[in-house]
Amino acid sequence: MKFNEWEERKKMSVSSFIAKLAGATALVGLSAFGVQAQTSGEPVKIGAIVSATGAGAGLGVPERNGLLLAEKDINAKGGIKGRPIKIIVEDDASNPDTALSKANDLIFGQKVQALLGPSLTASTVAVGGVTHANKIPQIAFTGIGPAVERERKCLAHVLPPQRLNATALLEYAKNIKAAKIGVLHDAGYGNVVMAELKPLADKYGVKLVAVEKFEIGATDTTTQAAKVKAAQPDAVFIIATSATPFRNVKQIQIAQPVIAAIGSSSYEYVNAMGPAADNIVIPEFVVGEDPLPHQKAFVELYRQTYNSTPKNYEAAAWDAAHIIAAALNKAGADATGEKLCEAMKAPYTGVLANYDFSADDMTGIPISSFVFSKLVGGKYTRTPFRVAQ
Amino acid sequence: MNSRTLLWLVPCLIVWAVLPFVVPRYMADLLVFTGIYTVAGLGIGLLLGHCGIVNLAQATFYGLGAYASAYCTVMMGLPSIVGFIAGAAISMALAYVIGRPILRLTGYFLALGTLALSAIASALFFEWDWLTGGTLGIGGIPKLDLFGFLLDRPSRYYFFVWIVAFACMAVAHNLVDSRTGLMLRSMRDSSTAAAALSIDLQTLRTKVFVVCALFGSLAGSLFAHHASFVSTQSFTVDRSISFLLIPVIGGATSIPGIVVGALFVTFLPELLSKLGDIHQILFGLALVAVVVLMPDGLVGAFGRLRTRLARRGNSNG
Repeated sequence: MKFNEWEERKKMSVSSFIAKLAGATALVGLSAFGVQAQTSGEPVKIGAIVSATGAGAGLGVPERNGLLLAEKDINAKGGIKGRPIKIIVEDDASNPDTALSKANDLIFGQKVQALLGPSLTASTVAVGGVTHANKIPQIAFTGIGPAVERERKCLAHVLPPQRLNATALLEYAKNIKAAKIGVLHDAGYGNVVMAELKPLADKYGVKLVAVEKFEIGATDTTTQAAKVKAAQPDAVFIIATSATPFRNVKQIQIAQPVIAAIGSSSYEYVNAMGPAADNIVIPEFVVGEDPLPHQKAFVELYRQTYNSTPKNYEAAAWDAAHIIAAALNKAGADATGEKLCEAMKAPYTGVLANYDFSADDMTGIPISSFVFSKLVGGKYTRTPFRVAQ
Repeated sequence: MNSRTLLWLVPCLIVWAVLPFVVPRYMADLLVFTGIYTVAGLGIGLLLGHCGIVNLAQATFYGLGAYASAYCTVMMGLPSIVGFIAGAAISMALAYVIGRPILRLTGYFLALGTLALSAIASALFFEWDWLTGGTLGIGGIPKLDLFGFLLDRPSRYYFFVWIVAFACMAVAHNLVDSRTGLMLRSMRDSSTAAAALSIDLQTLRTKVFVVCALFGSLAGSLFAHHASFVSTQSFTVDRSISFLLIPVIGGATSIPGIVVGALFVTFLPELLSKLGDIHQILFGLALVAVVVLMPDGLVGAFGRLRTRLARRGNSNG
């Protein structure tokens, strides 16, 4: 084939691909968002920081998907008082220093009115120093972290505080009458949940017969799992953001029920667990295979757009974008940060949970928002167990 | 200082002084980080360029400085200066105690030894959450207050950080230009010959390692007061590798090269991040390109280019 001919064909194939892509996008747009409401004027700019690369990419990529879907949805429904919303998404590479620079760029360079994210606790606290000092509303994709966050009254969280995650684990243990618990947790996220779990265990009449910690990113936790097995617990809690402890628990044939914290609920981890994922119970919020009635529209829209099933982090980002949009619609598209904060401080029924941002921790997620799902063949099934408020 | 030096130094100083006022705030923030990384990178440059020692433990001293400042100001309510001094004292003491045995190693083994130190420190920062706050870190670190002038925005903190960086550069320059500098270079080029000249290699290496730790600790304290928050994620082995890249990219034997290297590791990822999720791959490729094509770093390559152009000019003339 002559070079020119080849170039011509390449151009044609690229242009036909673009045409097909545009057609497909238009089709998805029409089917998913129905008739578009008209938006016009200067876009209302919202900044977002996610960990799309690095150690937190398992959280950041789904969050970015949720945000971009929410942006389309909000604009399809008329935007902010007729003006389109524009969510500028930046990647902090899972690094708090980068998150700080990105926050400075978004707030002072791009002049955003509010900030969504970041994905990780350390980045959230670092960025909070800038948003708090400059009275910019921030909705983080994390649970509340260190004590300093309680002083930041315009910082909302769309994921539960770690105390609530610990409570949900214990509630399920109580439900299956497990009095002796073995715990396998990592030195990061697991450590934080564990700190809340210890004081709560007594209250639930649960004895922690073995508590084993392993490094973040550990590729083998067999020794720790064996110690947990030797303590003969009634059930095992695994609190980590990794598939490794689940595989090791299966390898050494721990037969007791395994209950995992929400951190390992993403499909990325479930797929990495392989057959070891079977029968694990996770207290979480969104079971894409069997969504609650108020989650169905979001799950369907997400599937149509991304051809995959959403989980908790996609829903949390979706909620964050809608919460700030609701506050902007209430306070006005050009409202100051302080007015937006005031507008945010109210109950909000989201896809992930029912929030109450007037609560002390600016989250207000009740324990009743948790659903308890069980993994069967790599898919989630919702169990009938719920905790009453 | 001759008139030729003044000719380029004065415009550079003017640009430096007006820069934070003319660039957007996030760029001023990146320039602050450049200053902080310059301080940390200077220590590594001294070890690498003048002693031939690969130090992969700088994040340890950077972390010690940051945690000392955080703990002293937030947990104990002490003035910021106490945090700076405590961090420097702990880092230098640790560098001395660890440096004496570890610096007996050479080549790859020494690099691995420092890498092990960084890995141990990183694990301890995680484990000792009663001291470091673990994953949650320590927040609410106050901004520095200089005689009532609060350094609460990048354009103000920029001047403080860069004055510290220039002071550290002056110390490094004096060290390199002194008799000690000559001994260091002789040790790097032929340790046997240096030992034959009665140079106490072990003591000399340890002293430079201690200076390197001091710079690392200072950078850590500066970082803590800028970010107002410290957590384990900022002091991992990855950060040690980033610090090592600063002299490798800029030029290990050149003090201005450290600034160039710090600019590279601060600004390039930021610029590349506009290109989407492949930015880390592109940054990796850029690093490989610099290391392979410019073994003396960017400053070395610039010097070679200048020489070549001068020769061409002479031959044409």
